[in-house]
Amino acid sequence: MARYESPIVTIEALVIDIAGWWLIVGAIVSGAFLSFGIDRIDEDARGAYAFRPLLIPAILLIWPLVLWRWIKIEARSEEWLRRYQPPRAAHLPLAILLAAGLGFAVIAGLSVQQTWPSQFAPERLSEVAQ
Amino acid sequence: MSVKYVPVQWNRFKWGYDAVLLLGTGLFLWVFIDLAPGVLSHERPINPQIHNARAFGACAFVMLTVILCIGPLARLDRRFLPLLYNRRHFGVLTAMVALSHFYFILNWYFAFSPVDKFEAVLSANTNFNQISGFPFEILGVFALISLLILSATSHDFWMKFLTPPVWKRLHYLIYPTYAAVVGHVMLGTLQDQHNQSFTIIVICGAALVAILHVTAGLKERIQSTKTSGWTKVGLASDIDDGRARIALLPGGDRVAVFRHGDRLSAIANACAHQNGPLGEGRILNCLVTCPWHGFQYNVTNGQSPAPFTEKIPTYNLRVEDGVVFVNPAPNAPGTFVEPVASPLAESTS
Repeated sequence: MARYESPIVTIEALVIDIAGWWLIVGAIVSGAFLSFGIDRIDEDARGAYAFRPLLIPAILLIWPLVLWRWIKIEARSEEWLRRYQPPRAAHLPLAILLAAGLGFAVIAGLSVQQTWPSQFAPERLSEVAQ
Repeated sequence: MSVKYVPVQWNRFKWGYDAVLLLGTGLFLWVFIDLAPGVLSHERPINPQIHNARAFGACAFVMLTVILCIGPLARLDRRFLPLLYNRRHFGVLTAMVALSHFYFILNWYFAFSPVDKFEAVLSANTNFNQISGFPFEILGVFALISLLILSATSHDFWMKFLTPPVWKRLHYLIYPTYAAVVGHVMLGTLQDQHNQSFTIIVICGAALVAILHVTAGLKERIQSTKTSGWTKVGLASDIDDGRARIALLPGGDRVAVFRHGDRLSAIANACAHQNGPLGEGRILNCLVTCPWHGFQYNVTNGQSPAPFTEKIPTYNLRVEDGVVFVNPAPNAPGTFVEPVASPLAESTS
């Protein structure tokens, strides 16, 4: 925390620190979930250990989601129907939004591209001074 | 009881797919890194760090573009389905290539900053209120974090643990991610291109992705014709024995209508294991096998054969004048539904 010696804490420094704490909490959740939680909520994971290290990166990144699902499964508060209804109806609206987003990115990039004047070869406008 | 998780469920196809993937990626990087100085003729001399960063960045963009084309292509033409089945390995490799791009950028452009490297990425440019000189680095950071989340949650476990609706919503992140990548490239490196070839390649890639996604979405919308609350599937005679026709329901889910001899049955198209497309499987003794990982279900009740315990929803069917209709409201997973007689079998018997 040496950078806090300065009275001004920048937003960027704060963001980086929050990211660090996020990963630390993720590591704690990861340890708890992979050592006993996963065995309690998924019978397919019981006795299966080789795949567990593969789950660590995701838990580090989305640990709040992992905690939420863990609690929900432990509480057995799920409706069966919701499990079988992935939101595929969103495909077309999302495709249209994607197309609009890509169009915006391309037009924005082209509108401010700075190098086009330099594509023209320089022309000498006057004779070289003697 | 079910199948225990393993790190990767290898099969011959996956080995081949991954071999092609690695060879293609290696070839792209080799061409860019070793042949590019001569062939691509950069306008200004660049050092190896910048050259590596550009090579990995270009590779990640091309890979992501191909990945985003595979989904709609498979929905438009079934011949592309084999490319879809192992797409997760493609995604993981893309995230690794993008991470390498970030590594080279971080350790060159931000390595000599008086502040922490990561902090410098966020603080070097904060002109968020203008397009010209917009901090395109932030778009890249967002895309990289998204790619890492998507690739890290690609294991079978995550689909089951998060449930398909949550997993699917999470993986819709790929759309803003790709838009951010295109913005990152357009507002970043392409601002400094004298040779416009790369600009054209990026625009063509983005246009292809946009056109394919909108076309596939429109095609599915048009096909999902509704009739008095029941969804029209098509002619019963068009469904081959042992095979299925997949129909899109008004809610966006898909149903697989199977013919097994002179009977028709309907089950959810999504496998309980990892949402594999059951409708592309084949029936043997009333059991359909998921083409992705081999999970089996009885098409009359949606249950896996003992000792397995997976269940999927079933659907009610009716046939009028040789046309099959399905009730969009699913039955609870594992519910038996009496198969309906198929008019084709009645007329031929």
